[in-house]
Amino acid sequence: MVRPLAARAGSLLLTLWLVSALVFLAGQVLPGDVGRVMLGPFADAQAVAELNRKLGTDQPILAQYWHWFSRAISGDFGDSLSMRAPVAPFVVSSIKNSAALAGVVLLFLVPIGIGAGVVAGLRSGSLADRLIVLTGVSLSIVPDFVSGLLLLMVFGLWLAWFPITGAAPDGAGFWTSSYHLILPALPLVLNLIGYVARMTRAGVIEARAADYTRTAILKGLSPSQVLFKHVLRNALVPTVAVIATQSGFLLGGLVVIEALFGIQGLGNLVLSAAKARDFPMLEAGVLVMATIFVSTAAIGDLLQALLDPRQRRRNAP
Amino acid sequence: MTKRSDIDLLRGQSPRNPSRDIWNVAVDEYAQGFLKRRNLLKYAALLGLTGFAASQGLFTSGAARAAGAGGGTVRVGLGQPTKAIDPVTVTDPASIGVISQVGEYLILDDPKDGVQPKLALSWEADETAKRWTFKLRPGVKFHDGRAVTAKDVVATFERLVDPSTGSGALSAYKGILSKGGAKLVDDETVAFDLDQPNSNFPFYVSSDVFNAVILPADYAGDFEKNFIGTGPFKFESFRPKQGASFVRNADYWGDKALPDRVEIKFFDDEQAQVLALQAGQLDVIPSTTRLELAIEGNPNFKLLSVQASSHDEVHLRTDQAPFTDKRVRRALALTIDREAVVKGLLKGRAIVGNDTPFAPIFPSADPSVPQRKQDIEEAKRLLGEAGVPNGFEVTLTTERAYDIPDYAVLIQNFAKKAGIDIKLNVLPQDAYYGSATFGSSPWLDSNLGITDFGHRGTPDIFLNATLKSSGAWNAAHFNSPDYDALLVDYGKARDLQAQRVAAGKIQTLLLDETPLIIGYFSQYSRIVSSKVEGVRFTAISHLLLDKVSFV
Repeated sequence: MVRPLAARAGSLLLTLWLVSALVFLAGQVLPGDVGRVMLGPFADAQAVAELNRKLGTDQPILAQYWHWFSRAISGDFGDSLSMRAPVAPFVVSSIKNSAALAGVVLLFLVPIGIGAGVVAGLRSGSLADRLIVLTGVSLSIVPDFVSGLLLLMVFGLWLAWFPITGAAPDGAGFWTSSYHLILPALPLVLNLIGYVARMTRAGVIEARAADYTRTAILKGLSPSQVLFKHVLRNALVPTVAVIATQSGFLLGGLVVIEALFGIQGLGNLVLSAAKARDFPMLEAGVLVMATIFVSTAAIGDLLQALLDPRQRRRNAP
Repeated sequence: MTKRSDIDLLRGQSPRNPSRDIWNVAVDEYAQGFLKRRNLLKYAALLGLTGFAASQGLFTSGAARAAGAGGGTVRVGLGQPTKAIDPVTVTDPASIGVISQVGEYLILDDPKDGVQPKLALSWEADETAKRWTFKLRPGVKFHDGRAVTAKDVVATFERLVDPSTGSGALSAYKGILSKGGAKLVDDETVAFDLDQPNSNFPFYVSSDVFNAVILPADYAGDFEKNFIGTGPFKFESFRPKQGASFVRNADYWGDKALPDRVEIKFFDDEQAQVLALQAGQLDVIPSTTRLELAIEGNPNFKLLSVQASSHDEVHLRTDQAPFTDKRVRRALALTIDREAVVKGLLKGRAIVGNDTPFAPIFPSADPSVPQRKQDIEEAKRLLGEAGVPNGFEVTLTTERAYDIPDYAVLIQNFAKKAGIDIKLNVLPQDAYYGSATFGSSPWLDSNLGITDFGHRGTPDIFLNATLKSSGAWNAAHFNSPDYDALLVDYGKARDLQAQRVAAGKIQTLLLDETPLIIGYFSQYSRIVSSKVEGVRFTAISHLLLDKVSFV
């Protein structure tokens, strides 16, 4: 178990290093002189050159990369060009905002999605099953910005049950902040719920048809013991992997929902940094996003291995 | 008081210095109905007659109190500031909206009441209009309690004209004011020695140059830390990318603000702004055509507008085929039906332009210059004369912003009527501007393009930057010694009639040469909830909330 884990961690670090190099290179390829971007078109050439010297942007690319990389691994991403302040606090606050939103999404998605999938799987072929599958598929094809806008209009505007903006006022507590996130979370829940339910349903159907389930039933175990100890434990393996992957997406890929509900998450941070040609912010944001994607995928694999002994054996030497 | 005796009184107050002529001409024009009250005030202010004007009640409406109850929090939605909020470097409307809660200028160019003395009490020019002297208002304090002195004002302007600060005002001051030009006379007096005579200089230290907020002499570029200014509100909290709040400044030098607080939220999405307004979570938001449609006919909201000199400028590169021939340039301008553009595209919230930056709202514009109208036959005749009777193909490069892409399509259709085949190349806004320097900017390098220009209180910046041979924004690459000479005459003219004569010559020359097509000057609007009264704003995004009350 230790060696595969170490191998996995090694490949993870290699991926992140590659991403960091690519992002840094992409930043260099984009047109625009950093000093000129910061000082504007009317600054004189001398002032621009002086600033570039101060920032080190007049150095050879490898020297710049090493300078950036050596600081980045210790968590120092330098100063943002547009915000004229250290990048790290912006990244940390955007991760917090994204994580809060992802947390609320998972709070609804996991129990409802898995619950619906189990019901559909246990009664496969019934009206309830068809209803769940059809609803899930229909909801997943509605883009989140469309359902987001509809939900905003119905629950935010007409019924006024929820605040329109996802960002809670200054100094709001946990409950107020979570309340503000319900409306932004719903379109994402609706979008993903069908996927989670279908994965669970397929797992349940497969597990119920498996020999070990038949054996358990023949052993005379109660239906609930059969369900929780034998069916679900096996059926949920692929679902867990799916949820882990989706968590990565929830933490970094929600530009439209974040913009619509005014949430300053990671997606928004990277988008605005790209728009402002703010390379240090862009590089830090993309690197953090990549770290989240790669690590959530790894956590998914790990959970799958923990739940499924066969995979552990497969990975063993 | 009858109008006549009113006029006599105004005339009797003419100043002792050479400004007498300007003032008397302005009063005559006012008496004859050519000059509106607002523009008379502008002239009074330009000549330093503010004390007199105030005593005549000319400045009263700006100070009038709203009818509703004071107190409460005004909740504002704004776009996302594009960079750190710093008065010296900002260029985006959201940041200007935030800064106007705490920062003040020597002069406010109020769209309704004209030039209003703020941190400057009075000002006058010498005979050459090259040296201007400003007396500061005594007893004004920064939010940290320190008194505002001439030292702070000199430091503010020296910072703004220093190319190494990234100042957003460099383009405005280029050729007008240079480093060392602002001078300390005494604790309450500042003098400006200009690079060349300019009769409109008070506008250059007014809110029209939105970077010219008076900041402490030791300002270190960290405005977001405490938002120190002199304004009616002072800093309460700031969350980058999320919003800011301000509270009433109890030590304000003027009338204290009516609302207790102002709360500003930044939005990445305009749809989200209008939804929050509709849900009653905001009181004031910016306005766009799309948002105006969303609130049309709804009595819970009001659309407030001020006339502006903002315009979308079509440049025709005078040094590149096919526009080297002025007949070809005129032909393209003649294909456009300006009335139709104003009525259709801009929903009537604009006035027709005449291919010069002299918007009809500028008192110096010469109204006797004939208005260019659509004339397809004449356009075809000119093309024939220029040797391209069957028209030509050309690419129009522009930015994806505001109504510009639609305007480009309209121009494409109009031009087709004279046989001109326009291909469109619509770029994202930042790509279009590029580095904003010649050689690496589609804006400045394209053969034919459309660029948005925000409002200014005088046409000077447009005339200098976009049309002078050495202009930093001369996208038409217009090189006319005659024009450059007329521009100097215009700058020197201190009397309204002389200004108008110079303006008339410029307008006629530009109509003949047609380096630019300016089809309209659009209004600037904001959307507010009907529950609030007293929201004021300028056409360059200042948001003045000190007189807001709730009804």
